[in-house]
This record gives sequence, C-alpha cells and structure tokens, in this order.
Amino acid sequence: MDDWKPSPLIKPFGARKKRSWYLTWKYKLTNQRALRRFCQTGAVLFLLVTVIVNIKLILDTRRAISEANEDPEPEKDYDEALGRVESPRRRGSGPRRVLDVEVYSSRSKVYVAVDGTTVLEDEAREQGRGIHVIVLNQATGHVMAKRVFDTYSPHEDEAMVLFLNMVAPGRVLICTVKDEGSFHLKDTAKALLRSLGSQAGPALGWRDTWAFVGRKGGPVLGEKHSKSPALSSWGDPVLLKTDVPLSSAEEAECHWADTELNRRRHRFCSKVEGYGSVCSCKDPTPIEFSPDPLPDNKVFNVPVAVIAGNRPNYLYRMLRSLLSAQGVSPQMITVFIDGYYEEPMDVVALFGLRGIQHTPISIKNARVSQHYKASLTATFNLFPEAKFAVVLEEDLDIAVDFFSFLSQSIHLLEEDDSLYCISAWNDQGYEHTAEDPALLYRVETMPGLGWVLRKSLYKEELEPKWPTPEKLWDWDMWMRMPEQRRGRECIIPDISRSYHFGIVGLNMNGYFHEAYFKKHKFNTVPGVQLRNVDSLKKEAYEVEVHRLLSEAEVLDHSKNPCEDSFLPDTEGHTYVAFIRMEKDDDFTTWTQLAKCLHIWDLDVRGNHRGLWRLFRKRNHFLVVGVPASPYSMKKPPSITPIFLEPPPKEEGAPGAAEQT
Amino acid sequence: MSRINKNVILALLTLTSSAFLLFQLYYYKHYLSAKNGAGLSKSKGSRIGFDGTQWRTVKKFIMLTSSQNVPVFLIDPLILELINKNFEQVKNASHGSASECKYFCVPRDFTAFALQYHLWKNEESWFRIAENMGFQCLKFESKDPRLDGIDSLSGTEIPLHYICTLASHAVHLVVFHERSGNYLWHGHLRLKGHIDRKFVPFRKLQFGRYPGAFDRPELQQVTIDGLEVLIPKDPMHFLEEIPHSRFIECRYKEARAFFQQYLDDNTVEAMAFRKSAKELMQLAAKTLKKLGVRFWLSSGTCLGWYRQCGIIPYSKDVDLGIFIQDYKSDIISAFQDAGLPLKHKFGKVEDSLELSFQGKDDVKLDIFFFYEETDYMWNGGTQAKTGKKFKYLFPKFTLCWTEFVDMKVRVPCETIEYIEANYGKTWKVPVRTWDWKRSPHNVQPNGVWPISEWDEVIQLY
Repeated sequence: MDDWKPSPLIKPFGARKKRSWYLTWKYKLTNQRALRRFCQTGAVLFLLVTVIVNIKLILDTRRAISEANEDPEPEKDYDEALGRVESPRRRGSGPRRVLDVEVYSSRSKVYVAVDGTTVLEDEAREQGRGIHVIVLNQATGHVMAKRVFDTYSPHEDEAMVLFLNMVAPGRVLICTVKDEGSFHLKDTAKALLRSLGSQAGPALGWRDTWAFVGRKGGPVLGEKHSKSPALSSWGDPVLLKTDVPLSSAEEAECHWADTELNRRRHRFCSKVEGYGSVCSCKDPTPIEFSPDPLPDNKVFNVPVAVIAGNRPNYLYRMLRSLLSAQGVSPQMITVFIDGYYEEPMDVVALFGLRGIQHTPISIKNARVSQHYKASLTATFNLFPEAKFAVVLEEDLDIAVDFFSFLSQSIHLLEEDDSLYCISAWNDQGYEHTAEDPALLYRVETMPGLGWVLRKSLYKEELEPKWPTPEKLWDWDMWMRMPEQRRGRECIIPDISRSYHFGIVGLNMNGYFHEAYFKKHKFNTVPGVQLRNVDSLKKEAYEVEVHRLLSEAEVLDHSKNPCEDSFLPDTEGHTYVAFIRMEKDDDFTTWTQLAKCLHIWDLDVRGNHRGLWRLFRKRNHFLVVGVPASPYSMKKPPSITPIFLEPPPKEEGAPGAAEQT
Repeated sequence: MSRINKNVILALLTLTSSAFLLFQLYYYKHYLSAKNGAGLSKSKGSRIGFDGTQWRTVKKFIMLTSSQNVPVFLIDPLILELINKNFEQVKNASHGSASECKYFCVPRDFTAFALQYHLWKNEESWFRIAENMGFQCLKFESKDPRLDGIDSLSGTEIPLHYICTLASHAVHLVVFHERSGNYLWHGHLRLKGHIDRKFVPFRKLQFGRYPGAFDRPELQQVTIDGLEVLIPKDPMHFLEEIPHSRFIECRYKEARAFFQQYLDDNTVEAMAFRKSAKELMQLAAKTLKKLGVRFWLSSGTCLGWYRQCGIIPYSKDVDLGIFIQDYKSDIISAFQDAGLPLKHKFGKVEDSLELSFQGKDDVKLDIFFFYEETDYMWNGGTQAKTGKKFKYLFPKFTLCWTEFVDMKVRVPCETIEYIEANYGKTWKVPVRTWDWKRSPHNVQPNGVWPISEWDEVIQLY
C-alpha cells in the first residue's frame, strides 16, 4: 500500500467539480452519525481485505517464480550429465565470458586445451598427420566438431574447404598442424584460410608448424607459425595461448519458428557443426520429408535396422536418403550405433528416429559381427510381430524406389524356401553393365548392402550359431559360407537400389572405392514397376533362363571377349558367350573376364548355376561356364569355350575383399 | 476540516482499493485458469450428469486422441465391469442415444486407457496438444526391457505411462509395448525423485504398481455415454487378466554374470537340445492354453530361467507345474492329440499326481501337480520300482508372468524362495548329476503306495 498516496496536486482539480454533491452528501451524513461511523468502519475493513489479498497475491507470485526457477535446474544437470565430456569446465560460479585456449603444433604431437580441459591430444606415431580442425560454440565453448585433414595427401584439402565452408559464421575455429600439412594444400584451400584472416596459413610450407585460433567471419584471435629450416627437418613446436571472448547465447543461435521440428534442429545445431544447410539460419534445409506413400505398401510394417559406427556425416547423408524414399515408415527405423558415440546419436535425434548404442565387444571385424548380431536380435525383439527386417548400413544411399522394389518382391521370400535374401545391391551392376530397372536376378552370392532378412532364418538358423567374438570373422563372409547359405539364393535387381558411398571404413579406402564402387549404377527413377516378379521363383526362373538362352545369339568366340567389339553394336539383343569352367568352383576364366570388364573380380559374385547375367552396350549379355553349368547343353557343339589365362604370378593380391 | 479530510481520504482509499481488488480478481482468475486448465467447470461439477468433471475430462481426452489418430482403448476396470454387466445394451446402443450418464460419471479417481505404442505415430506433438487443451501431463519413462536381454545395448527410453489431469479428474494412459511371445507388456510406474507425489493419488492407480503382461486384445468400437470409445472385444477376459497380470523380467544381468563364470555350452548337442526343448515347451503351452489350464515353469526349467535366462542344456527334460485344482481329465488325451504320448503316470488326482510325456528327440515333458496345505505347497514323486513316495515341499507362492524363449509363461513370483526350497542356497552352482530322490533340498520320504494301488498309481508306457 506504500506506493499509493493521494497526490496533493490532483486532489483539488478532481474535487472541485464534485464539490456541490459532495457537500450535500456530507451534510446529510453528519446528521446521521451512526451511518457515517458504519461507513468508515466499512471502508477500513475493506482496506484490510485489500491488504490481505495483496499480500496473498505477492506470495503466490513469489512461489510461482521460484518454482519456475527451480524447474529447469535438474534438466540442466541432466543435460550436462549426458556427456559433453569435452565441454570445458567453468571456473567458479556464474557465466564466464572468456575461454583460455591453448593450441600446440609440432612434428609428433598436437593438442588443444580449452579452459584447461584437453579437447584434442594426438601423439600417436604415423597417425593424425595434417591439419586438425576444431570448432567451438562461441557462446558455450563446447566442442562442436573435430576433424583432421591429411593435406599431405591429395584431395584432403578439398574436404577441408567443404567442411570449413559448412561451419556457421561466428563459430570459433582452431587449427593445428601435425607433422606435415602443406604438400597438397592447394590454392583454393589457401584462399579460404586467407579469408579467415590467417597470415601464416596461406603461406604454410613444407613441414611448418602452425597454430591458429579465429572466429569464422570475424577477427583472428591468435596465430603462431614456425618455418621449417630445411627440407629434412621440421619447424619448431609452437604453443599458442590466447583468450577467446564468448558471445551471448542469443548471438550464437538462429531464430527459427518454434515448431517441434525446429526444436530438434536447434538442439542439434547448438551441439555439432559440419552439416551445412541444416543449420542455416535463413534457409535451413528440411529435416522432415514427406515422400509419397506407396499404394499397397507390403513393407510398411517391416522394421528397418540401420547399422552404424562413428561416421555421423555418413549417417546423416544415409538417413536423408532413407527418409526421402517412397513408402518409408520412420517409426519402423532403428539406428544401431556401435559404441558410445554422441554425434551419431545427435544425428538420429535430429531426424526424430530411434537410436540404440552398443558397447563394443571384441575388435575389428569381429566387433562389426557382434554389432550385427546384437542389432538383428534387438530388431526382432522390438518388433516381435515382424516376419522380416530390412538391414542397411550407414554408408549407403537409398534409392527413391527402394521400398517399392521390396514391396513388389517381398512375397517371394515368403513363398519360396529356396531364397536366402532379397538384396538391393547388384555386385556386377556398374554403369556399363546394368541397364534395366525392372529386371531381377537370382544369384548364389549374398551381396548385402541393403537387404531383407527373414526372421525365421535368423532366429532358427543364424542367431544360435552366430560366430562368437573370439572368432574374428566377417559376418557377411560367414553368411556366404555354404554351411549357412545351404544352396539358397538371393534376389537382386539389375540396377542397384542402394549406393555405397563410404570411402572411410574398416576395409575401405579411397583407391578401393574408386575402383569398385564409384561407377556403380544406382536407380533414380521413382515407382519402377518390376517385370514378371513371380518368374523369380525357383522353377519359374529355370524356365526363364532356358527361354533366354534359347533366343540368345551366340557371339563370335574367336574374338577377344575383353574387347568392346566382342559384342555387335546393337541394342536390346540377347547374346551368350561360353567360358571354360571345369568344376563348380573353377572361376579362373570368369575372374579374368570380370577383370577386363572392370566389374567385381575380387571374388565370384552374381552367378546362378554357372551363369552370369549382365548388360553390355545395352544388350543383355549371358556368360555360361562350360561344362560345369547345367546350361552348358545350350552350347552349340562347334563352339570352343573361351579360356583366359590368369596372370603368371599374383602380385600383392588384395587380402580379404571387403564388401558390404 | 480535519473530519472532512479524513472522510475524503477514506473514500478515496476505498475507491482505489476497490479498483485494485477488481483488477486482482481479474488477474487471479486468469492465473488460476492458466494453472488448472478450465478452472470454471469445478464449480458446477457436483451434479452427476453429462456435465460431471469425469465425463467432461474423458470426453476431452477422447476428442484429443481421435483428432490425433491415437488408437487408445478403455481398460478401466471399474467401467469395463459396468460395461460387461450391460454388454448387450452397450453393443446395441447407437451414437447419442444415451439418456443418462451411466459409466463415465461414476465417481472415481482415474479413468484408465491403454495404447499400443507401435501404433502411436506422433507422440511428441500429441503431448504438446494435450497441454494446450489444458491437460497437465506427467510422463513416466524407462529403458526398454526388450533390449535388456541383449548384451550391452542401450537405447532411447520408452514411455510407460502418462497421467493427464484436467479439472480435478485424471486420465491414466498405460502404454503397452509388444513383446516376443505375442503379448503386450506395460511397465512399472516408478515415482522418481523430482515427481510431485501429490499430483494424483498414485496409490489408487489400477495399473503400474507392477509391470504387467496381457494377451493382445481384439478391440471393438462402442458408444458409451455418448462417447465413442474402443474397448476390448471380450471385456470379461480382460478383466480376469488384470489381477494376475503381474510380470517379472528375467534377471539378464545376473545371467550374463553367470555365463562369465560358467561358460555357455554351445556344442551342437546343447544347441539341438535347446531347440527341441523350446519346441516342446511351445507345444505344451499351446495345448494347455487351449484347455485353459494354468501352468508354470518348475524345477530345472524354472532354475534355467532364473539363473541363466535360458534352457539348461544338460537338464534333458522340461518341467512344468500345475495346481491340482486346475487338473482336467482331458489333459492326457489333449497331449496325445498334440503328438506327445504319455510316458508314465504316477499317483492319482487325490495324491502325488505326476505326468510325463514323451517329446521329440528324447526330450521329456514332466508335469508336476501341486497340492496346497495351510502353510505350504507340495508335489509328489513316486519310485516305480519300489512304490516309494516322496514329497517336495515349497513355501506358498503366487504366479507371475515372464518371458522365456519367446513365450509368455508363468513362474512363481516368489522365485528365489521357490528355487532355494528346491535347490538350496547353492543353486547358482551348476550341478550336472542330479538324483531326484536325494538331491533336492526339499525332498521328504512320504511312505509307500499300498501294493493294491500300484496298478493305478504307477503306470508306465
């Protein structure tokens, strides 16, 4: 009540006009003393009530405020507990406005410490060469991305440019060189470093050491550089210590409309970096896709297991394509992450999917194998009604008609016991050897890379005898073994419905990818109607193959099968060639043929009873192994099967051929 | 003059005060309604009729779920009971024909609905819309038990329960999850530290005191009190399930520890036995279910479940328990029809009954019948050669559901007592040689069958 005081200034103005009626009233009242008393007491009581109500209101508001303050606190704790191992600890209480950052660059060791917490340390030998880049959130100091670009090797600088361009303006960038980072650092990359304000970066020389801290699009916060004195020696180690002023959270964040999707986006973008336009403030790329539903979708209720490791950028790309495929049902998707990695989990959460982490068991290939087993078991546990599961990996693009392809073919898996799987991948389906999106094959090899597994096969056969961790086996190699496959076959499309884009992987490198995966054909046509699906059943397929062989034109076997001219310049014809194949497991000639055709030659793939089917120059091209194949009888007696000599000595044959 | 001044001041004070009061009243009302949702209805809710709070809350809840395409179904025992009593009437009632509010206006603390989680497509947005409609919701989550059985997986938490209040009535939404073995599971509603214990009278909740397991109900749409709701097609069956729905999870962690100590037997023979035992158990479960006979995992099979969440490969048989009061004379013929011929029959219904059936691959199915005394339970054994009787004593127990080799089966809820009675405190240590007459901890000699009865009580096939 303190704030209210009758103002002496206003009173005369307000009172004058009403003076006359007030006076009459007053005189009336003076005559009735009792009434006046009553009125006065009433007024006092009334005032008292007002005081009480006011006090109650104040108390209530207080409580409401204190409740509102208390509430978010446990949530915050939880958030913190969620990990962020690398988040620098705050000193004392209250928000700190400055981070002190230490960056060390030398020949054999790099490290970065933020507020005394080491966020990067690499002193491993023969590893981590090149430019290490760390991105910090400018408001919180959290590490949002950590990358190393081996710019000693070709093309890595391109990846670095790509990455740095994706980083949002305002973020804190930290760069440090380990060993050598300049050999393949080209002009584009140097120009980018210059645009970041770096002095030494663009001039980085052979075996120089270099440490840099700057704000993207803003000022440089510190830089140190030491030139290498001679070709054979390295620059002196440099240690850069600098203070990084933190900006307010407001500045660091975008202001997207408040929707469920944007809340997810916000959570993601304030935590990690390097995903480009998904975190763009102005025009963020969508994270929800509404692909057309599939009419009569037979795989709508089939669970999809995505097997992932710690390649979050791959996973991001993979999930985008998966969620854009027609007929996808996001609630059936589960991402299984091998290890307690946070960033892949963040990607999964960005898309609102279910993610499951798996404590690593065993090492290398056996680890992958155990991860597969746990993931498959979990999938069938989570979806106990499912009869099938789709198995995908994080380094695959998924064709727009992936589910349409499966929806049209999945009944085969139910009706034909002689089938092992349906796979979206044709091992031999390269740009120059695949042609027909509506065509399916039966093959004896299991390609993996996007495939359908029957629950009964898994539960009754595979799961009980799955290789144990101490057996260091590849799960896919194991599944291809005759003891497991037991003569059953897989259905594959001529043109693959998945594309293997992974370059970094357990058994994968750039060279290998370029040679065997880059030129793989990938279907981009939506809604392809598959032709004659029921002819893929065991008996019907034999009829189909015999029909094909009967109408096929026999090629001129005197020509070199590796030459382009082996096939006439026609289109839409069917041709057949006979190669030598003494026994069921004699693939000498086939391997040589595959090598010169530039298709998969590391082991035998895509065969069906000694028959291979592919396309060349837009003609269907059949290869029959004589005399092992039962189709040898189609060989005219005059034809001598082609024999190709293997190269005299195997030099450095690739070890275990990874696939999948 | 001073008197005039006093009066003027008083009058002015009063005037301002009333202005203040009016403002506060207005503000307070706003504040209240923001806090409690539609706070207005409370004042009128006393009349039992279509504008009772319960009915209104349920109506709003059903509006919310149907607009969001969330297929909830009614599982409230109180209301289902009433519906079951007037089932014909309810089935035939057409929309809007109800003249009085008979079901949803019954005084109670909660109305319980359920939902199959895999049919719920938009949980996040649903939650938000519910809050916008004035519901105050509490969500209970926990880790997914379906991942527990698998070493080292940890996933996103799954929702178990929602409790949403509106105008002093609460809707309890039980989230059912599909489990292997074709049944639905709901979790334990656990009050964690930060939860307001006075949010609703939690003790009066009908579901969530324990985890529960239910057969997947078929649903049908009915109109009750002018509201269209889904209910189980067979409300009677569902109501019967409720009191016996308690579910206990296998102790996966302990089982893993067990296998670290005693390696799992993965030989071909062990795998073959596990497979046949599983098939035999599935066949037995199916046969007994058809007959409507309750059974539980007993002896070695129960130990296998409790100790290692699996079948003990060297146990060589499958052991089930049945209460003698559930005995039906057509059990033997039903098993025979299912392809399991009777191997031997010991005892009689009145005393020590035990049946043994021959399964495939030399796996035997033993069924022990349990007799209840005032302070213990027992089952009997008979030595064929000598006619000696044995008695195995167990402390009293009740039955719970669990999941075992992809099946929903019963086990004694008081499992540890049951197992310790049978195997002693050292049950954790595998014992490969077992003499059913001597090894069990709880065996007692029980006399000898009179020779005149041998033909009846010792039948070998």
